[in-house]
Parts: sequence; C-alpha cells; structure tokens
Amino acid sequence: MNKINKDLWKQVAKQVRMWSRLNSIWAVHFNSGSCNGCDIEILATLTPRYDVERFGITLKGSPRHADVLLVTGPVTRQQRERLLRTYEQMPEPKFVVSVGSCSISGGVFAGCYNVIGSVDAVIPVDVYIPGCPPRPEAIIDGIVQLLTHLKDSTQQPEIVQEVVS
Amino acid sequence: MSTEQALQQTEQLLTDLSTEITFPEPARLDAVITPGNLRATAKVLSNAHLGYLSAITGIDLGPESGQLEALYHFCNGPAITTLRIRLPREGKPTLPSIADIIPPAMLFEREMQEMLGFNITGLDVREHLFLPDDWPDGVYPLRAEFSQEQAAPVAVGPAVEIPAQGVRRGNTFVVPIGPQHPALKEPGHFEFTVDGEIVTAARMRLGYAHRGIEKVAESRNWVQNLYLFEHVCGICSHTHSTTYSMGVEQLAQVEVPARASAIRALVAELERIHSHLLWLGVSAHEAGFDTLFMYAWRDRETVMNLLEQITGNRVNYSANVLGGVKCDIGPEQAKTIKEGLNYLADRIRHYLEIVTTDAMFLRRTRGIGTISFDEATRFGLTGPTARASDINHDVRVKAPYGAYTRFPVTAITTTNGDLEARFVVRLNELLVSCSLMHNIVDDLPEGPLTTRMPRKIPAGETISRIEAPRGELFYYIKSNGGENPARVHIRTPSLCNWTSVLEKAVGSQLADVPMLISGMDPCFSCNDRLVVVARPGENQTWSWKQLREYGIAYYKR
Repeated sequence: MNKINKDLWKQVAKQVRMWSRLNSIWAVHFNSGSCNGCDIEILATLTPRYDVERFGITLKGSPRHADVLLVTGPVTRQQRERLLRTYEQMPEPKFVVSVGSCSISGGVFAGCYNVIGSVDAVIPVDVYIPGCPPRPEAIIDGIVQLLTHLKDSTQQPEIVQEVVS
Repeated sequence: MSTEQALQQTEQLLTDLSTEITFPEPARLDAVITPGNLRATAKVLSNAHLGYLSAITGIDLGPESGQLEALYHFCNGPAITTLRIRLPREGKPTLPSIADIIPPAMLFEREMQEMLGFNITGLDVREHLFLPDDWPDGVYPLRAEFSQEQAAPVAVGPAVEIPAQGVRRGNTFVVPIGPQHPALKEPGHFEFTVDGEIVTAARMRLGYAHRGIEKVAESRNWVQNLYLFEHVCGICSHTHSTTYSMGVEQLAQVEVPARASAIRALVAELERIHSHLLWLGVSAHEAGFDTLFMYAWRDRETVMNLLEQITGNRVNYSANVLGGVKCDIGPEQAKTIKEGLNYLADRIRHYLEIVTTDAMFLRRTRGIGTISFDEATRFGLTGPTARASDINHDVRVKAPYGAYTRFPVTAITTTNGDLEARFVVRLNELLVSCSLMHNIVDDLPEGPLTTRMPRKIPAGETISRIEAPRGELFYYIKSNGGENPARVHIRTPSLCNWTSVLEKAVGSQLADVPMLISGMDPCFSCNDRLVVVARPGENQTWSWKQLREYGIAYYKR
C-alpha cells in the first residue's frame, strides 16, 4: 500500500471512530454519596420526556462498557475507594461529568465529617454541571458540551494513535 | 382508645419500673428508668401492645454534665412514650440490648454503639454499619468533643477488596452485590449466600452515602438546617423539611397559618405521587417490564410540572420556611392542578388494572416475598410495605398533623402481604392522594402564608412525625435555647424496612432478589449500576443488569 493510501485509510478510520464515538455515548452512573436528587434527574433524561437515547446516549450497568462516568454527590470516605476503582475500570478514552453542586464543591454537605469534598479532588473531571439538582435540560447540555469539545479538540486521545499504527 | 387513656395506661404500667414520670408535651410521656430496668420495661410495653418502638435516640449531654442519654421512643397513635436512661460518659456506658424482645431495635442499637460509644451487651455485632472501614476505633462522631482531626483514616490492612467473583464457601456461594446498586437510596453492600438457586443467608453494609448530617446540623443555625435536611433525600425532600419545620415550630410554640399547612400538605401529596410513580417504573423495570417503566415515568412528568409550577423547582422544592411556606396557589394554578390530577387519576387506574391482571407481571409478584401480619409487626415495618401486610398504620390517619386534621384521609391496607399487594397499596394510595388534593384545592383556607419565627428557639425537646412516601419519618429535635439545635435525630422509614428484605431474601430464589429489594421502595437512586454477581458452579462474573436479565429469563422458562 503506498503512502497516500495509507494516510487516507488512517484519516477515514479516525473519522469513523470519531463519528461513532460522538453518536453512541455510553454512560455509567456513580452515586458517590448524593441525596438522590441528581440521580432521579439523570434517570428522567432517559425517559420519554427528554429521551436522550435519541442521541445514542444510554446508561450502562458496567464501567467496563462505558465512555462517560456521571458522578453525583459529594464524595464520602467510604465511597472514595470505590469511585477510584470504577474510574480505573473504564477503558480509555474516558470522560468524567460531575453532576450537581455537591459533586462540584461539596454543596450543603461541605464540612460534614464523612465527606471528602468534590469529585475533582479524587478523579479528573471534564465537564461540570451545576444545579441542585441540574434540570434534565442542563444535563443534556453538559453532555453536548462534552461532545462539542471532543469534536473540536485537535489532540486525539493516545489510544487512537496506538490502534492506527 | 384516646390519647389520654393510652398515656394513663402507660403511666400505670411504668409507675413501679421508673423513678420519675413527667408529661413534657400534651401527647408525650417521659419515664426515667435505670439501665437494669430497661429490658423489663421494654417487655412490659411490648406485651401490653402500647406502642411500637419508633426510634432510639442517643444524646451526649456534654462534658459539663458528664452524661450520655439514651431515649427509647414508643409511639402509639399520637401518644409517644419515651424511656430515658442516663449513663456516665466516661468508662464504658453499658446498656443491655433489647433486640431479642423488639427486633428492629438492633439497627438503632448499632447506630448508638458506633456514633456515641454506648456499649450494648447482648449485641454481638461490632463491625461498622454507617462509618467507613478506615474509621479509627474509639472515636465517636456524635460526642461533643469530636473533631475532624480525630477521625484521620487508619490502615485497614489490605484494601477492602470486593471479590470480582463470588466466594465459594463449602457447597455455597457468596454473592456480593453493591456498593453500586440500582435499588438503593444509599449505595449499600449486600452479600447473599446461595446454595444452588436458593438464598441461604443475607448480610448488609450501609454507610456508603453516610455524610454526617446530624453532626453538622449542630453547628448550623435553625434556618440553614432547613435546607440541609431537605438534602437528606432528594426524592422525599419536602417531607424532611416539613418534619423539621414542624418540630422547630412546636419548640417555638408558633402556630402555622392554615393556608400554609394546606399548601404543605398539597406539595407533600404531589411528592407522594412523584415518588410512587418513580417506584412503579423502576420496579417494573426490575421485572423486565420496560414499557410500564417508560409510561410511568412519562406520566410522572405531569407531577413534576405541577411541582415546578407551584414551587419553582423540580426536585428539591424548598417550599417551606420556618413558620410557613414560600409559595402560594392562585386560581389559575388551581385549575392546572385539577386538570393534572384528573389525568393522573385516569392513568393510575390504568396501571392498577395492569399490575393486577397482566399474567407475566403477576408471575413476578403474586405470592412472592409474602410477609404475614405477625412478621411485619415483628420486623417493625412501616409505610406501604407494612400496610400491604394489613398493618393499619398511617401517621396521617393515626396521628393527624398539619392540614390532615382538616382534610382527613383513609389508610389503604390489604391482607395478602406479597409483592402484588405492595403495588396495589401504593397505587390505591395515589388515588386517595388525588381526591385529597382536589379537596385541598377546592377548600384552600384564606390567610397569610407565614408567621414570624424567633431567631433563637426556646430550650426544649420535641418529636415530630410525618407519613413520608415510604412510611413514618421521625425527627427528634432538642434545643438549648441558642441559634443552633443541640441535637437532631432522624429515623428514616427505609431503615425500618431493611429487615424485611434481609429476612425475606433467605429461602427465596436468587432471581427474585431484585424484586424483593425494589418491593420495599428503598429510595431508588438509579437503575443500572455496576454490581458483581457470580453463579454457583459457573466461574462467571455478572453485573446487576445480567442478574436482572437472569431473573427475567428464569421466569420465561
């Protein structure tokens, strides 16, 4: 295969991967000590009124199948280890969305003896969705921002280059 | 039996056993007893059927008084009997366990043991229930002198590893579920031991979402706490803030305007509809009936619209202020509420027909997880789970509060006690809520929305109880006359209902476990999350989703 063809092939493969990634976001939801408010709003985004499955977004039971980790709530001491483990189990490239005020700053629970604090104190976060709880529209907007950012980003995740070469 | 008669009878029973009997509030009786008399007193109260144990509150009275106090609250309709025991703080404050007389006491005793350092004899469990695994020994968060520095994590040996696959013990397998789990308010951890298909033992570990709200409440002022308690649970946020406000208003002896009470009740009933429809959907999902899940959640959006229209928020409504409510209902809104309710009532009747006639669904619910009346009494169940087993207990009926004295409701009970009965009870309850709300909207009292509340609340202690969507919610509030509460103790209904899952799981099919857990409505927080399950004989790792699918496939055979 000559060089031009090979480059073209790489280019096409890259575009197909990006196209599929943008159109089939699989998310896993992790409650790190939340009051449930954000959790029911995440669930509401999946049900007929908001229906994010239109955009290929669906909740998965296992982190090993997921692209996006949706974290709700302040991180409690008992959940910290589990949050880390869940994050580590996800395959690259992975993205973290921190949903709700508590996961961003600890919210009303800041200062509680069993709360470590925000999610970004434990794992790197890509998108923050504020609100107590954020409305389903806000959650959808957060995910869309993540997708837009992905699409526009020039830097590809490392793993993509490995597979191509 | 009237409240006065009930209290008189209790007084007669307790005269010999207690050192002092007082009546701090109209429907309350306080009996000071010695630790030696505790078991005898518990037996007497339990045998005389003068109330059920609603909660045990532990309080640290501070280094000045050098004492700890344990309060055993027995409720009987509106009448509340409290047994008070004082013990020295230093050394080993020892109390006998009453869990063999009243089984639900076990969870409360474990809570006192780890939060306040009581030494409960006869309770052989020493492991943590709420606090993290790396919590240092001998540090009790609810003690007055507790500071964050004391709670520095200690090494717990090799990291607490949740096995990726089941653990084989002889012929049985241990199936770990959680801490990420679809059916839990708090992410909890379960271990089901299975022998073939049958569950032979069940164990649970809570505390993954334990944040330390009761402690932090002591350092915030009365108004800040209103918003803190709203976040105990996002699904029943209004009931938490209402129970807290009611308690504070009782302490301050402030009368809430009739219009405010009615609006509180209206929001509470809308919340009940939102909560039960949410539960209906998620339970149907666990049974593999996703169509019902989607329909229920679609109709739930009608309630969410109404709640948003009234309060401005979809989930944490902040409808309450101390001494009243923030939101009013105008004629326009009344019209939309009535239209919404008519639509919902139609849909609920439709769902009621489905859950009682759909043959496939009935195979998952009829005759499964049956709890008899006696068992339900013994486990100390509350709310719809108890009413499905013919326990006629609903705080709105037995001890009416707020607007429920003006707008009475009827309690729905059935005798079957199985999963189907729990569906029927909850859905029928919604129809009662709908007609109650029509009455409230039609007959909304005129008047102001708030009364003035003092910034400092007079010293005293009080108990407020409410019928939350999941059962009786209990708040104990103590004030020292300052700007902060001295102690707030919360007993949520889900805590009482856990025993039903653990006891009923034993002997049932592994395939029924998802439905059993969802049947008590343990405050669902999400539906599909990572859970690892292994099957006996197969070296295979399962997710919760696979367990659910296994349950569905099992019943297709």
